[in-house]
Amino acid sequence: MYPIVSITVFLPLLGALLVLLMRKSSPQVAHGIGIATSGATLLGALVMWSRGVNETGFAQVEQIDWMPSIGAAYRVGVDGISLPLVLLTALLFFVTFIYSAKVRKQSHSFVALMLLLLTASIGAFTALDAILFYVFFEVSLVSMYFMIAQWGHEDRQRAALMFFIYTFLGSLPLLLAILGLYLGSDPYTFDMRVWISDPPLDGLAAMLALIAMLITFAVKTPVFPFHTWLPAAHVQAPAAGSVILAGVMLKFGTYGLVRFAYQMTPDAFREAGVVILTFGVVAALYGAFAALAQTDLKRLVAYTSINHMGYIIIGVAVAALATDPAIRATALDGSVLQMVSHGLVTGALFLLVGMLQDRAHTRDMAQFGGLIKVVPVLGWSFVLAAFASLGLPGLAHFPAEFQIFLATLQVEPVAIIAILGIVITAGLYLRAIAQVFLGEVGDKWTAATMPDLNIRELLALAPLLMLIIVLGVAPGWVLDVIHKTTIALPF
Amino acid sequence: MSFIAIAILAPLAASLLILLARRMPVLLALLGITLSLVASLTLLFTVSSGGNSELLLPGLPNMPLRLIATPLTVLLSTMVAIVGSFVLVYAVGYMKSDSEKVRFFATMLLFIAAMQTLVLAGDWILLLSAWELIGLSSYLLIGFWYQKPGVKFAATRAFMVTRSADLGLYIAVFILIASTGSSEIAVTLNTTGSPAIAAGLLLLIAAMGKSAQTPLHDWLQRAMAGPTPVSALLHSATLVAAGAILLIRTAPMLTPETLLVIGIVGGVTTVVTGLIALGESDLKRMLAASTSSQYGLMLIAVGAGVPMAALLHLIAHAAIKSSLFLGAGVFQHSRESTMLEQLRGVGRERPKIFIGFALAALALAGIPPLSGFFSKDAIIAASLNSENIEILLPFALAGTLLTGGYMARALSILWRKNQDQKNNQNKPLTGLVWMGAGLTGLVTLAIILAAAFPAIKTLLNFPLVENISTEFLPEILGLVAALSGLFLGWFVPVRRLLGFLLPWANNGFALAGGFDNLMVRPAMAIAHGCEKLERIFYQGVLTIGRAGLKLGRVARRTDEQSIDGAIFSFVQGTVNLATKARTLQSGLIHKELAISTVATAMILVISLIALMVY
Repeated sequence: MYPIVSITVFLPLLGALLVLLMRKSSPQVAHGIGIATSGATLLGALVMWSRGVNETGFAQVEQIDWMPSIGAAYRVGVDGISLPLVLLTALLFFVTFIYSAKVRKQSHSFVALMLLLLTASIGAFTALDAILFYVFFEVSLVSMYFMIAQWGHEDRQRAALMFFIYTFLGSLPLLLAILGLYLGSDPYTFDMRVWISDPPLDGLAAMLALIAMLITFAVKTPVFPFHTWLPAAHVQAPAAGSVILAGVMLKFGTYGLVRFAYQMTPDAFREAGVVILTFGVVAALYGAFAALAQTDLKRLVAYTSINHMGYIIIGVAVAALATDPAIRATALDGSVLQMVSHGLVTGALFLLVGMLQDRAHTRDMAQFGGLIKVVPVLGWSFVLAAFASLGLPGLAHFPAEFQIFLATLQVEPVAIIAILGIVITAGLYLRAIAQVFLGEVGDKWTAATMPDLNIRELLALAPLLMLIIVLGVAPGWVLDVIHKTTIALPF
Repeated sequence: MSFIAIAILAPLAASLLILLARRMPVLLALLGITLSLVASLTLLFTVSSGGNSELLLPGLPNMPLRLIATPLTVLLSTMVAIVGSFVLVYAVGYMKSDSEKVRFFATMLLFIAAMQTLVLAGDWILLLSAWELIGLSSYLLIGFWYQKPGVKFAATRAFMVTRSADLGLYIAVFILIASTGSSEIAVTLNTTGSPAIAAGLLLLIAAMGKSAQTPLHDWLQRAMAGPTPVSALLHSATLVAAGAILLIRTAPMLTPETLLVIGIVGGVTTVVTGLIALGESDLKRMLAASTSSQYGLMLIAVGAGVPMAALLHLIAHAAIKSSLFLGAGVFQHSRESTMLEQLRGVGRERPKIFIGFALAALALAGIPPLSGFFSKDAIIAASLNSENIEILLPFALAGTLLTGGYMARALSILWRKNQDQKNNQNKPLTGLVWMGAGLTGLVTLAIILAAAFPAIKTLLNFPLVENISTEFLPEILGLVAALSGLFLGWFVPVRRLLGFLLPWANNGFALAGGFDNLMVRPAMAIAHGCEKLERIFYQGVLTIGRAGLKLGRVARRTDEQSIDGAIFSFVQGTVNLATKARTLQSGLIHKELAISTVATAMILVISLIALMVY
């Protein structure tokens, strides 16, 4: 059996080197390499998917000694929590490459950076060694910084710096926590599997490590009140950057919350469960309300991410507080599925907003009206993605949110107040649809100033929209993988 | 393949085919609904000979989706298919000159498929999904003419009001699954005690939203912005019916307390919306208010503990109300308006349509031997035999009286001409044959449906009213109320009837500004509050950046005017400092190292300050 996980992780890196070696070639060649490499990575992820996960622990583990003296090694592998995220990551990058094939500004650097980001992202989800995880985590940060700073919109420099400082300062506590966990382990190791099966810290040390990790992941997710970087970064980032930022990189926060905070300091997490739950509820409601007040379409979508990620926090907190393993599994199933759904739905929404901005050079909703008549394909795609985002049954978010709320009611009934979020998101999306796509068309937008989607854009969008429906109608094929792991978790 | 699946998949497949092929929408639509109807009738035949069936589908872990064919679900499915067929036949004519037939028929069939799923659902997840999907399809249909002024607000309002109420269904479902461990509806109906009360009241909230019960009745009148076949469908067998169907199906679980609340909600609604209908100046909006009022009567029956009576009225009302809308649609096309003043005397010019409309109106008022008489009679009998007779009976009779009143008023306006009114030359109508065919079918049903009531009672095996001590009392009471209503409505002007209530009724009896003031404004106020907080946070982050800047004395080029500039300079300064401090090549890793050094220092300093402060 060839080491498919490592191949999938490092294939994009090879692609990046190839692009940099072929500096002199035309932009088309660069984009071609990008699409081909990310396509091959997607294939790799599909092979990983077909190999599946184990009943307990991690599957497809690949391991090479690295720094044996300190117990660090190259270790990668997947379980039901990370495998869906790997597939999501590969898919989102693939469609983003297709969408970005129009980028002419320093296209070689763009493609190379995106491929580096792809390696870092899949690496972070598959790493089973804390040092390795941290390296991938930081590399993704740096790549995204350059992405925003180089290819962003009008105020990109400041947004990029704000993003960088915020998330960079945010990631330092994780390093402290990792050191703490390392020093607590006996014998010393950075093997995450050991930390999970036998949590090294307890008592005050565990609680301090948990707080440190929570800060990091709260900034990354982001959770109110650590979210200020998100709207600025999203608004200024290029569409490709926004898709990856929201679709993949926010998941580092929630994935870390489960993989590190929940699994490595379980007792402390349970003790702090109510506090974490409160943060989740506040984030969900605050994100929804803040989104309702937006007039900039991209900011609106950015704020709904805070709302949706809030549901994930709620789900994980509820899982920690639950005593019944079945309810715990329901909450975690919902949370992990929500990560996938959010990636698909928000990815589609950011692509659509990007396509709209490419044409109109504005994101201000008041500038639009009646567009569904002018750009029916773009318009109906937005309606579909918006209804998915507001949690309509039959579309991707519903099964995830249903499970999260169902578990919440059984464990901490008061927290069900967060369900108000689905009404507020409905209100803000219907408002946006009414303002941008319905009503009378002005003279400003005609088939000349605003053509409908072209083939490239359709190819980028179609896989996401199809999966949004598939995941809504038949979530079983993903849930089975997730459930296999969550039902067997010892705590 | 199972007939349950065909009943749902046929319209769904037709909808998708229409969208993909973008041609032959009419043919595909009629084919889809016919297949669905055949499947429903076959199921009806099977269950009437005792053959209940069930179809399990994969769903969430340990919670499979299921479709069930029982007498109740199949009967409702047949009703949906029959009304759907006639409305679609009518729509072929009504939409003849519309350029967007593809979108129209595709959405109509999606709507019918969702409704078939709702009535045939055997588990809560599927029911909830169908419940929300009919919300989506009605949003799309109400907003069909999205370019017309006001239409988008009507569609948005309809979706928002119903979705707010849907939270009741969500939470009720969670409670039921949590207390029984199963998502199968039949199993959860065994819930007792406080979960049953809570779930019952929450289900009532959801039903109030969908069935447009007071105080959530206002969206339904606005929904008239959609094409008339849409109104005919969503007022009869589909959207609005979902609320009452939910309560009828969960009736075995409802506790006496919940039943009383349901009865009162229904009673208040039937009177309030009946008065609105009486004072209405637009024919379609009048019919819409009347729908709320009739569903109020059904809730009275559920509240009286006789869901069977509610079901009979639901079925009779489906045929009657769709007939009325289809008739109104022809009048609308004749005069290009739905305002009653504009429609004055239109009945004389379209006598055949008027006769159909009038028969349906009399059926709704409850005149024998039309179907509405028997179903309304069952409701009055139910309230007579209820423990809460003193509350429910006056409401039921008032509702019946008002029904006679507004229907007679409408008939009188549609028939009578002013002295000075010229003979309007009606513009020739296209598609009248199709419209006539659809209307005839539904009016025939409205007239003769009562003949099927005994068979329905046997089929469902529900007791109608347990003790028949009242002999002919319900019939007499109902008839007196209906006839008085008709008399008043025909002869007495509405200004005299309603008096000081008229302006308020015209305003939809909105309390405290209605939905806008009670829901929209507070939500927007909170939203703007959050946005303000966002700015403060943003400034705060930037201010912290500036503080750190002074602390570290790393600023080189500080733009003191702009706080935003501060952060930029801070990093620039950091980088400069780092470059100077260690004369290393500038590069990715060094930049990162440098920033991390300063950042760590900053964190330490801030923590130290924090420690000193506390």
